[in-house]
Amino acid sequence: MADLEKVDIIGTPALDGTYIAEMDMWPFECQEFNRIYPFYENLRAGKFTTTKCQKCGHIAYPPGVICPKCWSDELEWVELPQKARIVTFTETQAGAPIGFPSPIIMAWLNFGEGAPLKHLLARIINCKEGELKDGDEVKFVVFDVPSHPIEVKKETKICDRVYYAFEPVK
Amino acid sequence: MAEKKKAVIVGGGTSKFGVRQAHLLDMVQEAMKACSDDIPALKPTDIDGLIIATTMAGRHSSALNTAPLVVHRLGLSPTAICIRLDTLCAGSNSAIIVAKGLVESGMAEAILVTGAEKVYMPQRWETNYTQLMVNDHDWDSAMGLGVPPPFFAMIAKMHMKRYGTTKEQMAAVSVTNYTYGEGHTKGHFAGRSLTIEGALEARIIADPFGLYDCCPLSDGASAAIIASEEKAKELTDRPPVYVRGTGQHASHSMSAGWPGETLAEWTHLKVAAEVAFKNARLTPKDIDVAQTHDCFTISEIIELEELGFCKKGEGGDFVASGAIEIDGEIPTNTDGGLLVYGHPFGASGARQSLEICKQLQGRAIHQVKDAAFGLAHNLSGTCAQHTVVIYGKEPVD
Ligand SMILES: [Zn+2]
Repeated sequence: MADLEKVDIIGTPALDGTYIAEMDMWPFECQEFNRIYPFYENLRAGKFTTTKCQKCGHIAYPPGVICPKCWSDELEWVELPQKARIVTFTETQAGAPIGFPSPIIMAWLNFGEGAPLKHLLARIINCKEGELKDGDEVKFVVFDVPSHPIEVKKETKICDRVYYAFEPVK
Repeated sequence: MAEKKKAVIVGGGTSKFGVRQAHLLDMVQEAMKACSDDIPALKPTDIDGLIIATTMAGRHSSALNTAPLVVHRLGLSPTAICIRLDTLCAGSNSAIIVAKGLVESGMAEAILVTGAEKVYMPQRWETNYTQLMVNDHDWDSAMGLGVPPPFFAMIAKMHMKRYGTTKEQMAAVSVTNYTYGEGHTKGHFAGRSLTIEGALEARIIADPFGLYDCCPLSDGASAAIIASEEKAKELTDRPPVYVRGTGQHASHSMSAGWPGETLAEWTHLKVAAEVAFKNARLTPKDIDVAQTHDCFTISEIIELEELGFCKKGEGGDFVASGAIEIDGEIPTNTDGGLLVYGHPFGASGARQSLEICKQLQGRAIHQVKDAAFGLAHNLSGTCAQHTVVIYGKEPVD
């Protein structure tokens, strides 16, 4: 099986490059397919962001089009803390979805007292199996993931993509 | 105003669960056959409603609008409702909640609730790939959350850390459920047995889980009839089993919205349970037999706590004390549960409810003496939603 995170493949790597959107493991990040595309643009700039309600002040995660507390659509983009601590984690020996390396390390993160985002399930990268322990500090990191094509009139446009994870603070 | 009708579960059956050489619709037909064998007087024309619960029919069987397919294969002609419903692992118990409302309101007389999944694909990897779509895809799945073991492994680690739960206590759940699985020949792991040593020495799936801490993914289907009390009397001489109360609660989809203090607290289940007990006008002490969603051994332990069968944090001691055994305080998963009978998502809820039906009618394979009230529970998604259905030999009023 090919290395499915290889970024030089356009499409759905598991399908030898043929792109079937239904099988895509990553979000449609481009403006043509969602209204929270600034999240992904901010990722490219190394920023971890979300939407804050200008009416009630609620900071939601994931970002949205309306505020889930008061349903206002007057939202602004704000930055989230990029450091968190590992509460507990798992190094999965079996069942990592195709396209992710096995073992895959996932952790339950706590962003600390008063943080707008309290906890999050996150993948830990740039870390070897056995390296991590509860209480370790990790930081936000952005990496490239495969692009996908979209048809714009008669042309095919390539949408480049990124995603985020966390890595140990060394 | 006309008096509200009472909804009862009449009976039903399941297909063989497991890695099946069968199409989704083949298994629905097998479940219907088992349901027909269980209720010999039932004819296709008795059924005026159909709810098919399935998650994977669309992707795995190219059957997005599943209900008409089921209608055709089963020879039905529903006039009250004919729908597909999807709440993942809670599908057919969710369908029972809907059926209860329709029957009680007089909109339907006899609803076939069926659940079915064809999980296994010509290439095994595709099943895991589909699992990326059952979580919050763009957020948790993109973090690598596919099949559930890693997530529930973190839940187990947290429960062990906070409450001192041990691997031996978790093994007590799977060993007990294997005892109950005996005689259930349609179960995924029918005919197998398990010892504590066997459970503890099994290969690791995701620390702290060994193989027997995790339920299998199964192909399979189930079918149950939810009818008015009057219609049920036409169909069977067995004592009626009333759908007394239900509750269903979701508070989030993505991990960022997890409602508990830590992963070991399932406050959203507590809410669903409180609603169901209130509607059923019962308390946990009244329940004689339970079917709780044992997708993992730790799940059953936490569910017993949050459902109120033991104190929070004492689930480990509770299961190891024999409380879930047939003569214990709350015999649980008396047909082997998800761990042994298997788990075709949409089919599991009705399988649980049928076991409660049989227990309350006094005809279960592992019969709880004088069982009068029973409870079925599912969690679904990445523990995003909880569904509770409570049954009784007596109606609420
Ligand atoms: Zn607001």
